[in-house]
Amino acid sequence: MKLLEFEAKDIFKKHGIPVPEGMVIKSPDELYLHMDEFADEVVVKSQVDVGGRGKAGGIIVAKKADVVATAAHLFKTPIKGLMAKTLLVEEKLPIDHEYYVSITIDRATRQPMILFAGTGGVDIEETARTNPAALRRATFSPLLTEVPGYLIRHLLGSAPRELGPVINALYHAFCASDALLAEINPLVTTSRGVYAADAKLIVDDNALKRQGITVNRDLTPREREAEANGFSYVELDGTIGVIGNGAGLTMSTLDLITQYHGSPANFLDVGGGAGRERVMKAVRLVGGMPGVQVIIVNLLGGITRCDEVARGIIEAGVNQHVITRLAGTNEEEGKAILAKYGYQMLDTMEEVVRAAVGEASA
Amino acid sequence: MIYGDKTTGVIVQGATGNQGAFHISLMNDYARSVGGRGVVAGVTPGKGGQSVHGVPVYDSVREAAENHDFATSVLFVPGFAAGDSIMEAASAGLELVVAITEGIPVHDTMKALAFAKMEGCCVIGPNCPGTLSPGELKLGIMPPQLAMRGHVGVISRSGTLTYEVVNELTRAGIGQSTIVGIGGDPVIGQTFIDVLERFEQDPETKAVVLIGEVGGNLEEEGAAATSLPIVGYVAGISAPPEKRMGHAGAIIEGGEGDAGSKIARLRSMDVPVAGKPSDIPALVRELL
Repeated sequence: MKLLEFEAKDIFKKHGIPVPEGMVIKSPDELYLHMDEFADEVVVKSQVDVGGRGKAGGIIVAKKADVVATAAHLFKTPIKGLMAKTLLVEEKLPIDHEYYVSITIDRATRQPMILFAGTGGVDIEETARTNPAALRRATFSPLLTEVPGYLIRHLLGSAPRELGPVINALYHAFCASDALLAEINPLVTTSRGVYAADAKLIVDDNALKRQGITVNRDLTPREREAEANGFSYVELDGTIGVIGNGAGLTMSTLDLITQYHGSPANFLDVGGGAGRERVMKAVRLVGGMPGVQVIIVNLLGGITRCDEVARGIIEAGVNQHVITRLAGTNEEEGKAILAKYGYQMLDTMEEVVRAAVGEASA
Repeated sequence: MIYGDKTTGVIVQGATGNQGAFHISLMNDYARSVGGRGVVAGVTPGKGGQSVHGVPVYDSVREAAENHDFATSVLFVPGFAAGDSIMEAASAGLELVVAITEGIPVHDTMKALAFAKMEGCCVIGPNCPGTLSPGELKLGIMPPQLAMRGHVGVISRSGTLTYEVVNELTRAGIGQSTIVGIGGDPVIGQTFIDVLERFEQDPETKAVVLIGEVGGNLEEEGAAATSLPIVGYVAGISAPPEKRMGHAGAIIEGGEGDAGSKIARLRSMDVPVAGKPSDIPALVRELL
């Protein structure tokens, strides 16, 4: 789950990374109480989770006299379609130079990977394309609790050595928050020291519980309902509902729909041990999506009981036609149950997809 | 038979949970049908002295090792404790851990894999269905009735999609040497490149089917490094960016890891890539 800038900064600060003085507000009126704390200029930052927030108008430098009006404006202005519930109002830093630093997990080495660039404040993917030499990287054993000094020297090159402790502190924050990404862009030097001017943290969804996070904000309400039922679910915008077991098989079913010129409405992986109850809930969830004209149920597994799955489909009682491909035990019984209610059970993925695409476009 | 054969002795960590107990029974059914040793002991901390489907349970891997002969573990321990269990197995001197568990925090996986490597222990998974060498050895949850012994190796990041492909191969009369589900997490022990290296050393394997999906670039890395003839398939051409497609590792991030560019890179290495699972057998036949 992605954290907002102010949440990430709170965590970075706890690990000893200097962040600008600032406050989080939920309404412009809160600012009146703090006017005497502001210098002549402040930075007002919309707390929405989008990339390129500055360019999209979500970050405004305001004169002290205009700060309330600026905040009121940002509360009313969607940034790339998202409305901010909170703003971060910060001191304006006297920036000398901007750098980039991030820590991610490298799939190839199975290790933490630190990226550092002498140019910050810009899109790092852009830097990687246009000036790859400016980007330094280091991977190291995840069993280490500190970033080794020689790696920090390699990363920094000719950049100021005072940035070193920030890189190490960022690694502490990365580990302590079960992060998939910890990023400071830009990391800035000023006459009074180093600061994380921006902050980004993505927490591993598999670790939300031990991080004390109860609600995954990255999910839509329907995706959250699906998750509570133990399903993996992604909303798309097509007309064919898809339920499968296993991520790969379900993805492959979506792909086949696309190849036969249909459009999938969703991705739903019911997970292992798909029985009557789970299948019923899944069919109801997908049947309840607006725009779904027909539903595919594609379950394959040695231990799937087809008669139980068939009963779950019937019990769901959705308006849409459900076309199934069930491979497992008691296949004939399952087929008979479905046929009684006018539902089709076909033998292969392709037959099911072709039938569904035909119906959705009819 | 790249991870063991009939003579392989196996333990199950997380033996007394629903999944563990159920799959001990299925693995031992299979071992009996092929004349293999199967699961000789189970481990669940605090449940020592019990037995599951006739298999004795111990409190720790070391205790099990004092009473039985084995070097392979299949792990069903819940996500929050699974990293620790991998390390326990590695420190007890096991050669192979097959981690079935889904939902392990990735920092735990990273640490456990680094530790296992130091101890010389090979890890398959996590978040995987395990491996099956038809007629020899089943480690994990793959349904053996779809498979048939032969000379094609299968490597996949998925579970049921692997069964789909194996089913297609078997129906086309193409048998499999070993089928390996390497797992759907972003950080996994054995990747395509590691399994391909083993297949190269395996006299049973003449060609390999490589089943990938969106996220990362380990499919291409594996294909580039092997001398074996391979057929590819990549799931997720319809996957939207920045969305996790069921697997923690199945995500197109920062414009990287999409199916289209994976397929293009595989084809640029002259790897035939199937458009759909049912096209795979014909492409494999051309290679054999």
